[in-house]
Amino acid sequence: MHCSHFSSPGIADRGLLRDRHGGKIAGGPTVKHIKYITAETWLAAGLALLGILGLVFLAQLVAEPKVLFGRSLTAIPPTLFPSLVLGAMAVLAVALLYSLRGTLLAEHSKTFEDGALPRVVMLFAVMLFYALTMAPFGFFISSALSMATIAWIAGNRSILQIIAVSVICPIGLYLVSTRGLAVSLPELSSIEFFYARIFDLFESAPEVSQ
Amino acid sequence: MIEQFADGALMAFRLDTLVMIVIGLFSGMLVGALPGFTTLMAMAILLPLSFFLDPLVGIPFLLGVYKGGIFGGSIPAILVSMPGTGAAVATSIDGYKLTQKGESRKALDIALFSSVIGDTFSDIFTILLIFPIALLVMQFGPPELFAVLLMSLVIIVSTSGTNPLKGLVMMLFGLWLAQIGTDPIGGVERFTFGIFELKSGIPLLPMLIGVFALPELVYAVMRSQRAQEFAKLVGDRLSKAEFKRCIPTIRRSTILGTAIGIVPGLGQVVAAMMGYSAAKNASSHPETFGEGEIEGVAAAEAANNAVNGPTLVPLLTLGIPGDNVTAILLGAFVAQGLRPGPQLFEEQGTIVFAILVAMVMANLMFIIIGYLSIPFFARIVTIKTGLLVPIVIMFAFAGAYVFRSDTTDILMLVGFGLFGLLARAARFDVMPMVMGFILGGPLEYAFGQTVAMAGSTPFEFLFTERLGMVAVLIATPIVGYLLWRRMKSATA
Repeated sequence: MHCSHFSSPGIADRGLLRDRHGGKIAGGPTVKHIKYITAETWLAAGLALLGILGLVFLAQLVAEPKVLFGRSLTAIPPTLFPSLVLGAMAVLAVALLYSLRGTLLAEHSKTFEDGALPRVVMLFAVMLFYALTMAPFGFFISSALSMATIAWIAGNRSILQIIAVSVICPIGLYLVSTRGLAVSLPELSSIEFFYARIFDLFESAPEVSQ
Repeated sequence: MIEQFADGALMAFRLDTLVMIVIGLFSGMLVGALPGFTTLMAMAILLPLSFFLDPLVGIPFLLGVYKGGIFGGSIPAILVSMPGTGAAVATSIDGYKLTQKGESRKALDIALFSSVIGDTFSDIFTILLIFPIALLVMQFGPPELFAVLLMSLVIIVSTSGTNPLKGLVMMLFGLWLAQIGTDPIGGVERFTFGIFELKSGIPLLPMLIGVFALPELVYAVMRSQRAQEFAKLVGDRLSKAEFKRCIPTIRRSTILGTAIGIVPGLGQVVAAMMGYSAAKNASSHPETFGEGEIEGVAAAEAANNAVNGPTLVPLLTLGIPGDNVTAILLGAFVAQGLRPGPQLFEEQGTIVFAILVAMVMANLMFIIIGYLSIPFFARIVTIKTGLLVPIVIMFAFAGAYVFRSDTTDILMLVGFGLFGLLARAARFDVMPMVMGFILGGPLEYAFGQTVAMAGSTPFEFLFTERLGMVAVLIATPIVGYLLWRRMKSATA
């Protein structure tokens, strides 16, 4: 049995005892074949489902046209174009599934190299953490934590390099963005105050010497 | 329009424009030289930076990244047979053989010269071609625009990925994503599922960075575990005689690349392969191709760089991005308040011509920077991915946030990144989806106006006095043939 990435056991063969040609084995040793739904099938089925559900619930998903004195203010019904797009998507996605019928399930559907999937999952988990913590933790803390973890996942084992990258880069980018380009990045007020103090030190230095 | 061009040419000569072109070229070469890092990814990540610069500084900066990145991709292709971009695959065939023969310096020199020559001539051709096309599209009404937009989407689908049915489904998905938010005609809310942040629609920037850059980064992380070869820059520089021998090849590839660039969806990879094949077929010694032939490198590089300019023709005149890189450029134009399409030359012609002149200037600067910096970029090839990936991800997240200062955009970035990875794993090309998303708004608007104009006599309306319909009647058999051929090859 081979485990595959982006795949799960197909219901067609789950739990059935069959020989290599799919026939039931009488008496002899039993062989359990499990097939997997490929990533291709998942995506095509998802898009087909989106098209069908979109069409079914179109009236709920698109607001009623604005009306003035009992007459619609729009020249065409607001559901016309969406229904054409969703209808075509549903039909073509079903046609795609039909054209893929021979490869909907696979014995092996390797998408990534061996051992790569856990790293991909970890990478996206860290990115999700980064996205969710940027506002509450501020840019520096969320970036430093996420960058250090990503560097580790990407195979960097030099602690010095990891610390240097994850501390210096967020500070540099924050200062360039906010001071150089005048755009805002989310930051905790205490850290922003710290940056301001450092800038004040530089700005007041010539005055001290005078 | 000639007056606009003259004004634009004068406007382009600004110190800040020139400085940002140099920075763009340098950044593009830097990213292109890193195996696993692509020009597309560099442009997606640096796109937000251009929003905060003047249009005449920000857009030439991105064009510099584009040009530098395409050449930069040939550096690892030649030195370690690891093409930095898809367009550099053809370059690696003979380029790496030259490295093995101890002539990597020569290979990089001819790659630079043929890139710049191909690019410069195609840019000049672009400027000349834009005049008549811009004048023609100014006559377009909603039906013509609708017809041309629809036809472009179908052409993009028929030339992308391996299975046109997948491309069509992805294009329709992109069209649906573009509908989320507010109806452009009636102003009614749709597909927002009650989420306030979706009322203004899905922003383009997180989608572009998400589907193009994040999956590339994930794959770069996966590749980072492999041992990297050591890059060596050795041998003599290119001689005058060798350069002269390559001129006919460069000329042929430039013409081929320019022609390919005008057609939406074909792009650099096709141009490089066709340029290489044409050079091999025309050569009196075809057996040397694939064994370290300098003309092989020249053919591939001139052809793939000659695509750069002409891809801007459909973008600037009709608002149709011909490939994923021009889709990113479209984002830069829109953010700067320059909406590519029939009205652009009427409203902002001077700025557009200034940008085009800056593009030619970028080539002239490129030859100097490239010639001097090749030894530096040859060393870059071996920088560790584990050091660069976190920095690039930080830029991606900050870039997605700064445009609207909204954390929802970062969540969308991760969501689109995941979708892009799934699509790549399922061998679905995301390009038709992005094109559907970008062209969805204008397409729906033109469709609505056309339907409203037709009123109760749609057939009479369609077949009388409509220029666009004539174009569709001519183009339908061609597009139909393209789709049929792709379907046939996909099922074979």
